[in-house]
Amino acid sequence: MLMLPELIVVATGFLLLVLDLFLTEKQRDLLVPLALAGVAVAAGALVLTPDTGVLLGGRFAMDALAWWFKLTFLLAAFLTIALTSGVLESAAPEARKLHSPGEFLTILLFNLTGMLLLASTRDLITLYVALELATIPLFLLAAWRRDALGGEAGLKYMVIGALASALLLYGFGTLYGLTGTMRLDAMPALLHADRTTLFAGALVVAGVGFKLTLVPFHMWAPEVYQGAPPPVTAWLSVASKAAGLAVLMLVGFRVFRPFLHDASFAIALLATATMTVGNLVAIVQRNILRFMAFSAISQAGYLLLGFLAGGSVGAAAMVFYLLVYAMTNLSVFAVIILHNQQTGSTQITDYRGLSQLNPLLALAMMFGLFGLAGIPPLSGFVGKFLLFSVAAQAGYHWLVGVAAVNSTVSLYYYLRIVRQMYIESPAQGAVPLKPGAMLGAALLVTTAASMLLGVVPTVYEAVRSSAAVWLQALGQ
Amino acid sequence: MGLASWLILLPFLTALAVLAVPARRPELIRWVALTGTGAHLALTAFTTLRFWQLASPDIAAAKIATLTKLYFVERVPWFKSLGVDYLVGIDGITMAMVILTSIIIFTGVLASWNVIVRTKEFFALLLVLVTGVFGVFLSFDMFLFFMFYEVAVLPMYLLIGVWGTGPKEYSAMKLTLMLMVGSAFILVGMLALYHYAGGTTFDLTQLAQHHYPVEMQRWVFPLIFIGFGVLGALYPFHTWSPDGHASAPTAVSMLHAGVLMKLGGYGALRIGVYLLPEGAQHWGLFFMALTTVNILYGAFGAIKQTDLKFFTAYSSVSHCGFVLFGVASLNLMGFKGAVLQMFSHGVMTGLFFALIGMVYGRTHTRIIPDMGGLAKVMPWLAVCFYIAGMASLGLPGFAGFVAESHVFLGGFFGNAWSDPLLTRALTVVATLSIVVTAVYVLRGLAKVFQGPITDPHFEHLTDATITEKLSTGILVVTLAVVGLVPGLLIDLIEAALLPFVNRLHATGALAVAGHP
Repeated sequence: MLMLPELIVVATGFLLLVLDLFLTEKQRDLLVPLALAGVAVAAGALVLTPDTGVLLGGRFAMDALAWWFKLTFLLAAFLTIALTSGVLESAAPEARKLHSPGEFLTILLFNLTGMLLLASTRDLITLYVALELATIPLFLLAAWRRDALGGEAGLKYMVIGALASALLLYGFGTLYGLTGTMRLDAMPALLHADRTTLFAGALVVAGVGFKLTLVPFHMWAPEVYQGAPPPVTAWLSVASKAAGLAVLMLVGFRVFRPFLHDASFAIALLATATMTVGNLVAIVQRNILRFMAFSAISQAGYLLLGFLAGGSVGAAAMVFYLLVYAMTNLSVFAVIILHNQQTGSTQITDYRGLSQLNPLLALAMMFGLFGLAGIPPLSGFVGKFLLFSVAAQAGYHWLVGVAAVNSTVSLYYYLRIVRQMYIESPAQGAVPLKPGAMLGAALLVTTAASMLLGVVPTVYEAVRSSAAVWLQALGQ
Repeated sequence: MGLASWLILLPFLTALAVLAVPARRPELIRWVALTGTGAHLALTAFTTLRFWQLASPDIAAAKIATLTKLYFVERVPWFKSLGVDYLVGIDGITMAMVILTSIIIFTGVLASWNVIVRTKEFFALLLVLVTGVFGVFLSFDMFLFFMFYEVAVLPMYLLIGVWGTGPKEYSAMKLTLMLMVGSAFILVGMLALYHYAGGTTFDLTQLAQHHYPVEMQRWVFPLIFIGFGVLGALYPFHTWSPDGHASAPTAVSMLHAGVLMKLGGYGALRIGVYLLPEGAQHWGLFFMALTTVNILYGAFGAIKQTDLKFFTAYSSVSHCGFVLFGVASLNLMGFKGAVLQMFSHGVMTGLFFALIGMVYGRTHTRIIPDMGGLAKVMPWLAVCFYIAGMASLGLPGFAGFVAESHVFLGGFFGNAWSDPLLTRALTVVATLSIVVTAVYVLRGLAKVFQGPITDPHFEHLTDATITEKLSTGILVVTLAVVGLVPGLLIDLIEAALLPFVNRLHATGALAVAGHP
């Protein structure tokens, strides 16, 4: 039962793979609803069986925080598939269509399985295997459009991803050498605060840093975000980042917890570099996908603040922000995907006058962008506030200042898009976008979620108590 | 739900009602907005009366209190694990600010009667902005306060960017970013206040009972004061203000200069001085000096302006300097002056910007040298302009005189923590600005309204319409009433301000008996 969501997703993946062989081009339109149903059932299984426990001799465990991560992954997957439906269906315009919907969805679901497993792993080998499953399918998805940009994206991602894996393996190997065990939970007692431990920690952070796009390991992000099909970019920016955070929290809290306090200055520097570089470079972007890449980089910087205090408040702040970020980012991507699908453009200036053509879409996009900038009463504000509060609690008041000023910088570039949508007039001959039912519903859900999470305290309180339980189980 | 919540909610409901009206019926949209704000004005009047009845018996007790007594308190736990409450209430300062805001938004809607581009969005945003302003004034939970603060600031970007004139995108962006950097300062200070007090509550009334270490107060106070000071046009962080005001449409200038800039002084007082008395003692003289520069710089800046809006914007920088000067003087007289000045400048500058909008709507120029003799064709507007001008240079009989005399007396009294010679010298220097104000106001008005009509086009211009007469009339009457019967307002705010002073004196060894 503990592994039910994973099993359902894998089964759906295989079902799609096999079905795909027997269907005609037209009938393949059924695959999207089928995939959605699979993910929904998995999510239902997750929600209905919130049990905790261990499987496979302690290599796989279900705990309070893993539950939240899995929920985020499943939600993100569900919404991403809904957003992709427009370009997967047979009636989509040829130029923007994603070919082989069956394979696309299968690979996405396998990728999702990797992420789901990742949240539950408890030893180095399972962790590594799950992480590879959560990464390698992304190389394929990024290169799905077989054009020059797509090829560049896939290749660049793969080469850098391989390097990251190598660093991570080196780190894991060192950890194993130091402790003689594969079990994450057994490690803290066996590790000493010496240079080798530090080295292992640095390697792991570097390896995960690629996934989480921490500066200076972010180099791949802009090209991959730009070259990949927009729905894949949406998936990358949300799920892949969430997977990165899951690994970092696993390793950070389970293995390096005794050293977290000593490392806080390094974490603060890493966070500063990540948000500052992400924000400053985002200012000059003209392509909305590259823009979102740098925006996502800076968001990772804020996330890191949660590690500073080391307690359940920090863990809760990170998980909550991840959920908020996933919803908000997907709401922005819904409009980007729709816009790209119907105009073929990814230029920021092509959003001009959107508020007059599609008032509601522009409003949703504005709320999404303000959410990312952390403007109240949207949930992005509460999420960031919690992370900043963790930094203040740890005594890093200067870092709160840096982060808050960074938020202002980010507001500048988010406002650039708002300006295009609201202040500029529409281009001559521009026609309103027509959202499909599925995309419209996904946009509605994400926008509503990104508003409500900041006003209704229930979800945060639930995350907070989960984090407390989780940390208690870790043995403080 | 109590009165305080309704005061916040009503503008928001009006905004929703405006959104529900189809865009092709601008007339109906205006009437909905006017009805909503009119109802708010009535609600404010009712609340004021109730407040008076409740608060009057407590004035004596306030003389020794160190905590502000709140009325109409509503508290609903919100983010429980963080200690965030939905906590709203009213004290004298809040009441005065609510009255001001309610008057300004009502007259602002009247003054925007001729907005024809995207009317619906305009009024909706304006009302959302005002919701934020009321929220800031009424909330006594720092988290809620900060949330409303940003809600009040951000709509400004679109209001100026879409409906503004001149280099509007530049001005809108400059304004938004500078204010947001200010709020970043405030955020740092706020989180420090929260965590130093144990990280269990954002409730201002509870945080006020915590004694913060002096060292901490000394670094947090300037953050808070400067953070709010950016919005209060504190020199040298005022540069967004002239550009922003000059580009903004009439009602937005009115609201911004009239109300939004008051949030700066209000926050500096409510959070800065109230929670960090020892920080205030340490930095009082410094900020007094800085605001003296503010006052003179704004006044001299105004002399050189040829655009009526820039002219008023610089004059606002000077007058908002009085507010912060009063706050920094750290005594009851100064605090009273600061709050009175917030009120009087709010009404006065609202009147100024409303009139400028009306004159501009007729002459299509705001350049002072291009105008002349307008009093002949628009006597109502000219008279109102003169009244605003006289109030602004502190003519007795108008609210400006009451406020400025309090501020200067407060500065002259000084306080126990700053060198009396220096505070007096600064006050004398700041007082000189009155002369400068007289120079620019009289020169500017004489050029615009007196003498022969310079441009033949002006001969056929008309005087104020009925809506314009109503909106300017209300503001003029308010200025005169507060000027002639200042006791109405002073009684309201004094009881709320006494605890601020008592807190300053209760901080320890430096308490001086019988200090003003």
